[in-house]
Amino acid sequence: MKLSLNWLKDYIDPKMSTDALVDRLTMAGLDVEAIEYVGKDTVLEIEITPNRPDCLSILGLAREIGAITGKAVKNPKIKNLKTASLKKRVHIENKKDCSRYIGTLISDAHINDAPKEMKTRLASLGVHAINNAVDTTNFVLMETGQPLHAFDYDKLAGGKISVRRARTGETIVTIDGIERKLDTSILVIADAQKPVAIAGIMGSRDTQITSTTKNILLESAHFDMGLIRRASRILGLRSDSSYRFERNVNFEGVLTGANRATDVLLQLTGGHLSGRGEISSKAKSASLKVKVKISDIEFLLGIKVTPLKVKAWLARLGFKVTAKGGILTVAAPANRADIGQDVDVIEEIARMIGFDRLPSKLPMIKMTNIPVDKRPREIKDQIRQVLTAGGIDEIITHSMINGKALVKSNMAEIPAVRIFNPLNQDQELMRPIMLPSFLQVVATNINRGQKDLRLFEIGKTYFKENEKETLAILLTGRHSHDWRSSKKDMVEIFDLKGVLDRIFQTAGIDAAYEGVNMPLFDPACASKIIVDGKQIGVLGKINRNVLNNWGIKNQDIYCAGLYLDEILSKPDKYVRYQPVSEFPAIVRDVSLAVKKEIPYKKIEEICLKQGGDILRSVHFIEQYLGDKIQSGYKGIVFSCQYQSNIRTLREDEVTAVHERILQTLTRDLSAIRR
Amino acid sequence: MQWNFQDIHNQVQTEAQAINSPQALEAFRLKYLGKKGLVTAIFASLGEAEPAQKAAIGKGANDLRGLVGGLIATKSAELNCAKTFGEQVDFSLPGTGEPLGHTHILTQTTQEIISIFEQMGFVTIETPEIETEFHNFTGLNIPIDHPSRDAFDTFYLDAQDPSSKGRRLLLRSHTSPGQVRIMKAHNPPMAVIVPGRVYRPDAVDASHSFMFHQVEGLLVDEKVQFSELKGLLTEFCKRFFGPKVIMRFRPHFFPFTEPSAEVDINAEILGIGRKKWLEILGCGMVNPKVFEAVGYPKAKYKGFAFGMGVERMAMLKYGINDIRLFYENDARFLKQF
Repeated sequence: MKLSLNWLKDYIDPKMSTDALVDRLTMAGLDVEAIEYVGKDTVLEIEITPNRPDCLSILGLAREIGAITGKAVKNPKIKNLKTASLKKRVHIENKKDCSRYIGTLISDAHINDAPKEMKTRLASLGVHAINNAVDTTNFVLMETGQPLHAFDYDKLAGGKISVRRARTGETIVTIDGIERKLDTSILVIADAQKPVAIAGIMGSRDTQITSTTKNILLESAHFDMGLIRRASRILGLRSDSSYRFERNVNFEGVLTGANRATDVLLQLTGGHLSGRGEISSKAKSASLKVKVKISDIEFLLGIKVTPLKVKAWLARLGFKVTAKGGILTVAAPANRADIGQDVDVIEEIARMIGFDRLPSKLPMIKMTNIPVDKRPREIKDQIRQVLTAGGIDEIITHSMINGKALVKSNMAEIPAVRIFNPLNQDQELMRPIMLPSFLQVVATNINRGQKDLRLFEIGKTYFKENEKETLAILLTGRHSHDWRSSKKDMVEIFDLKGVLDRIFQTAGIDAAYEGVNMPLFDPACASKIIVDGKQIGVLGKINRNVLNNWGIKNQDIYCAGLYLDEILSKPDKYVRYQPVSEFPAIVRDVSLAVKKEIPYKKIEEICLKQGGDILRSVHFIEQYLGDKIQSGYKGIVFSCQYQSNIRTLREDEVTAVHERILQTLTRDLSAIRR
Repeated sequence: MQWNFQDIHNQVQTEAQAINSPQALEAFRLKYLGKKGLVTAIFASLGEAEPAQKAAIGKGANDLRGLVGGLIATKSAELNCAKTFGEQVDFSLPGTGEPLGHTHILTQTTQEIISIFEQMGFVTIETPEIETEFHNFTGLNIPIDHPSRDAFDTFYLDAQDPSSKGRRLLLRSHTSPGQVRIMKAHNPPMAVIVPGRVYRPDAVDASHSFMFHQVEGLLVDEKVQFSELKGLLTEFCKRFFGPKVIMRFRPHFFPFTEPSAEVDINAEILGIGRKKWLEILGCGMVNPKVFEAVGYPKAKYKGFAFGMGVERMAMLKYGINDIRLFYENDARFLKQF
């Protein structure tokens, strides 16, 4: 809401500098968002919260400034007009939709420009001048907050007004020249034949006031706030009127507005008052009485008050207060529909005192009565520590993605929850997988010359039935440079697996890996991550054609994605101490050639099974895939460590067990000793 | 042949002292211990020596060999040391290994906010991002078709709310639905913090994003005062921005709190002038209508709630001027924090 200080002075002179006024308004809850200088006028842009529609007018703000400063407000003189009743010419279909309608007929009007002063006033609030009739409705709207509309009476078929729901298929061309389709959820003002205005929002072009208008029908009404809001949303049409109606206008203000506008119109157009039709659902708006205990005021605000003091504060706001036995009965003015319970009154008292003048103290916080499992957050923090210690940077990407990002990632078939009202295509889906967002980040960074990227994100992925806490990791480019070695190694899949190993170690779980076919990945380098027999994620090398889709050239990308919920829900493991052996260990290295398709895991399993009590551990040393070995085979080197907790092992018993292992490997896996 | 071992010993000592290079040391070694060296010659002379002399000569040769060997070892160590001193390690060369990665500044800021409240006795609970109308709006005293919804434009999902016929699920437009969920499930006393992502269909610019992060706080007990809300948030601002921070509480409106306030900090603490006030959070006393909606007995409890935007706090504290930087993830941005 814009407040012209020149206009304000018609009703109240705050007698303080603009800075001081801005401060007082802001500290009373009327936040001044901008100060504008228009000619010799100063205009304040004030944020009016939705609970204070009574402040959506210059007079409303004058009353509020009066309450803040204790100065009196000079209301404009409004005549009580007497004229012939035209009640039969107004019809309201449902008084729930429209609780009050006043139509005033002004005859033999002359339509001209409005006086300069009125035009200046309107211009200061950014309202364009049109003619003396329309400008009067806008002037009174801004002055009193009551929206008004003026029809060219001679253009209303049958000379009658009906407030009704639009009929299916009806249309209207509004003043802005746009044809709008109406439906039965929309309230209209109609003449005998057709809608002539969308109630509370905008009138029709055909019935607007023009220079040839002779007879004016002035509308002042009260429409249902929810109805106007819905219609405004459906039609995508907002106006100064709809803005006020959807926040609720004052029932009493309908008559005040009608009288004020009629008075001004008669003066400016030289017309005469020839009749008025009024329909009201009730005689007067009932004033709600709220009971407030003095002790509640004192407790909540932490101050001492007396009924007299409270009365004085509230009187400035026009509230009427009666006190009896420590209980106040408060009646707010009719335009303060926001005052409905005791805390609303207490807030008004606090506002009048000033929030900054209320006491402040540290709260007493008791133990919270909620069982909280701290482990999920602790593990997430630990994972962050492990990853950053490994040189991996955390990113945060949007939860929504463009469907095309899934297509580009060969993941088009993965089901995703759709957003019903996205602003653009980049928000059309809730991501069911994080990796497309990562590829976008990589493409952006590579374009800017940053090619060595190690990234992770902990966030959600989204599904029809739930949202899952998810971790994704991406590695690409070179290792950090070691100036002592001449090699510049590129990261590869075992770097990524090592990162996962450290995460699983942190969380105290064991993971298994099993090849998987996923179009996102290179088929030769993709694996499931399995924990307790359940797949919790995947890792692999991104398929070359996916990288091409994202415009990423000349470098490989390794990614892992896993659901953290499976890890976070695991209870903390209790560690039991294992005694450290005092006896020497015997280590035997083994070098074997095995068929390429045999996983190392298989060899390790056979060793551990055959090794009995004395085989303490098996350590992988290296894998050889070169041409110095027969084709179809790979070289595997590992060591077996033998040790006992109770005695020194003899060479011959170790040899016996070791030979048994080697024979089993030869027999079961056709391994060849090298 | 007669051997004057005393003279030889003196000579050896003098020669050894003069040695200043590995070459000279080698020459010294050859002269005494080499195949044609003096020690060999002395042993060779044993065959011709008087039987009475043999023992003395043998001992003399052995002593000489020991003496020379000892001198060579000492000298060799000296010369080697000299070599090490000559090639000092350059400690200005970089150490090796992976440089540390960085947690995202929004994670760091969230953690900082949370840990301040946790130190004061709050517990942290995360609640879902996909929400119902009841949790996001109705339970918070934000009715359908009411202008108080204007501040909360919302993304709806193409999915029905199983708990409310004909209503769509939505993406929470604030973290306040966490209040409703927690109060529905638990009884006071409680002091909880709810962090997380929130969504509003705002056009993106330097200060608006359709996704951002909030931290919500809620304290409910039988006796809670407005002064405690002021005290708590004042203490929070001092710990977050610094003890010299100047704040103000100004009245505002939120449907779920009454009285409601917004908190501004004076820009001076950020070094950008004293005239400016910067809004940092919204707060208020829990509206009795919210207690009613979650099924608490009438007039039994009081409480306060507050909420702040993590991006805004980070932008103010670290001087970040464009909200889009947070989600673009340029490595040069990430590595600054």
